[in-house]
Amino acid sequence: MAEKEPAVTQASGEDLAARAVADGAGDYGDLARTSDRMPRKRRDSGTRWGGLLGFLSPAVVLILWEIAVPLGLVDGRFFPPPHAIAGTFWKLTLDGTLFSDVWVSLVRIVLGFLAGAIPGLIVGLSMGLFRPVRWLLRPVVSATYPIPKLALMPLIILIFGFGETQKVITIALGTFFMVLINTMAGVLNLDKIYLDVAKNYGANRRDFYTRIALPGAMPLIFTGLELGMGMALLLIVAAEMTGAVSGIGYRIWAAQAVFKTKEMFVAFIMISLLGYLFAEGLSSLQRRVIPWKQL
Amino acid sequence: MAEKIVIKGLTKEFVTKDRIVTAVKDVDLTINEGEFVCIVGPSGCGKTTLLRILADLETETRGEIRITHSDPSKPLNSMVFQEQSIFPWMNVRKNIGFGLRCRRVGKKIIDQTVDQYIQMIGLQKFADAYPYQLSGGMKQRVSVARAFANDPEILLMDEPFAALDEQNKIMLQEELLKIWEAERKTVVFITHSIDEALILADRVIIMTSHPGTFKMSVDVDLPRPRRIAELRSDPHFNRLFTELWGVLREEVYKAKASEGLTVSDDEFHDDHSRTLADESRLVL
Ligand SMILES: Nc1ncnc2c1ncn2[C@@H]1O[C@H](COP(=O)(O)OP(=O)(O)O)[C@@H](O)[C@H]1O
Ligand SMILES: [Mg+2]
Repeated sequence: MAEKEPAVTQASGEDLAARAVADGAGDYGDLARTSDRMPRKRRDSGTRWGGLLGFLSPAVVLILWEIAVPLGLVDGRFFPPPHAIAGTFWKLTLDGTLFSDVWVSLVRIVLGFLAGAIPGLIVGLSMGLFRPVRWLLRPVVSATYPIPKLALMPLIILIFGFGETQKVITIALGTFFMVLINTMAGVLNLDKIYLDVAKNYGANRRDFYTRIALPGAMPLIFTGLELGMGMALLLIVAAEMTGAVSGIGYRIWAAQAVFKTKEMFVAFIMISLLGYLFAEGLSSLQRRVIPWKQL
Repeated sequence: MAEKIVIKGLTKEFVTKDRIVTAVKDVDLTINEGEFVCIVGPSGCGKTTLLRILADLETETRGEIRITHSDPSKPLNSMVFQEQSIFPWMNVRKNIGFGLRCRRVGKKIIDQTVDQYIQMIGLQKFADAYPYQLSGGMKQRVSVARAFANDPEILLMDEPFAALDEQNKIMLQEELLKIWEAERKTVVFITHSIDEALILADRVIIMTSHPGTFKMSVDVDLPRPRRIAELRSDPHFNRLFTELWGVLREEVYKAKASEGLTVSDDEFHDDHSRTLADESRLVL
């Protein structure tokens, strides 16, 4: 039930970016509120009807699609009928292409995600906790954050060539900023009284990080992770456009070159599945890490 | 007795965008080791500011403060904040043990101490609950326990019981009296209830309305150990009450007048009428 369309989160991300720059000197407080209003996963109440209706709409779309192609209402060259896609799906599964594509992309996404999220978390916490750090880094962050990571890809390729590093770095950059901005906002959004309590009860610097800022900012950190994940899925396709010989993104571009739209759709399905699994993974992690928040 | 806290000519000004607010003005005060002092004054007169300066959370604009830290193995002070201040991301146990964990006390001692104070505030069933599962009164009790468990030399308490219902308030007042009568810590306790001040304190200090300075200090020579129910029918207690209220009402009216139409804060009045009503009930 994680209905997190990359398109939506993307837009919200850009909205964040616009605000981040707009209020340059000001605080990031309202930024956090913006992300609070972002689409949150809401558990359906689990009624039988809800489940039925949930299956109904995709089923109807598939059936209509299947009928529309032979009727000539939809061009089968661009939109091959579902049963044909299923056939290709099966074929690619049997010959191992599917698995190796998914695996290769998964490794790139996970490495890039970690390489971006961990530094983003640390810098975000530091900027949130310590004003001098904020003063020092805010201008740089505000200036570099809005640059579309896609625009940076040619430069990254110049620097790192067409290897794995280029792909991991591209994804890491996108994730880094999402996590950083949201983590900082999460810390800045903490009621100041908690910092006073920590100080009065003798918290040292490490306590401020691990007992106050990190857990306190956790809800927004997860927002950042979710946005970063969406970013990673977007960037993997772009990063595999050139200089790759496998991966889901590569499969899409390769299929385009030889007009194999069925393979393309199989790749779409896999990306969508990955997105779904990541979102589910994050939200189950979230429930475990933030038991103190009423959901 | 040794002087624990010495304050001389303390002034605190807050610089805001369009003006300077003098929160506390020329305060002189000496508090002895092991003394229980209550500070009473109309709201907005700078009580919280004074306490925050003592807790080193705010720096004074002018003046001098000397606080003696006699036992380095203990924290100097622990504050019970006026507003909701327990960490939402820690359960009750973790909240109460927070100070001890910051001081890297052994786990066993932390567990023992925390258990003891959970018992004291009667939240055994909620030991592993998170703050969102607690009522406002329970949260305040946790915040009191957090300060007690930290075992500081000075307890700074900012209207800690103001938000509690009557039963809980009396229970915690009794508990505080018991602990204090056993340990004789230095306590600076802020309240806007004269009743509460007289029940607890060795000395009551009355502050003037904004900007807060010292108006007068009254020794509360009621014998200890004190029993709250008995105190309220004690003629001497009632004499002190009337005397203090006479002094304070002037300041409250002044505060009201200077607030004019902009701010209305009936907190003080409400509370006072409540205590008077209680009294009459007890007398009857
Ligand atoms: N951080 C601050 N900035 C500006 N003014 C403040 C600040 N803190 C308190 N004040 C002002 O100082 C005065 C005293 O406040 P406070 O100490 O909270 O009073 P009390 O606790 O007695 O109700 C009030 O007029 C309040 O508005
Ligand atoms: Mg106050």
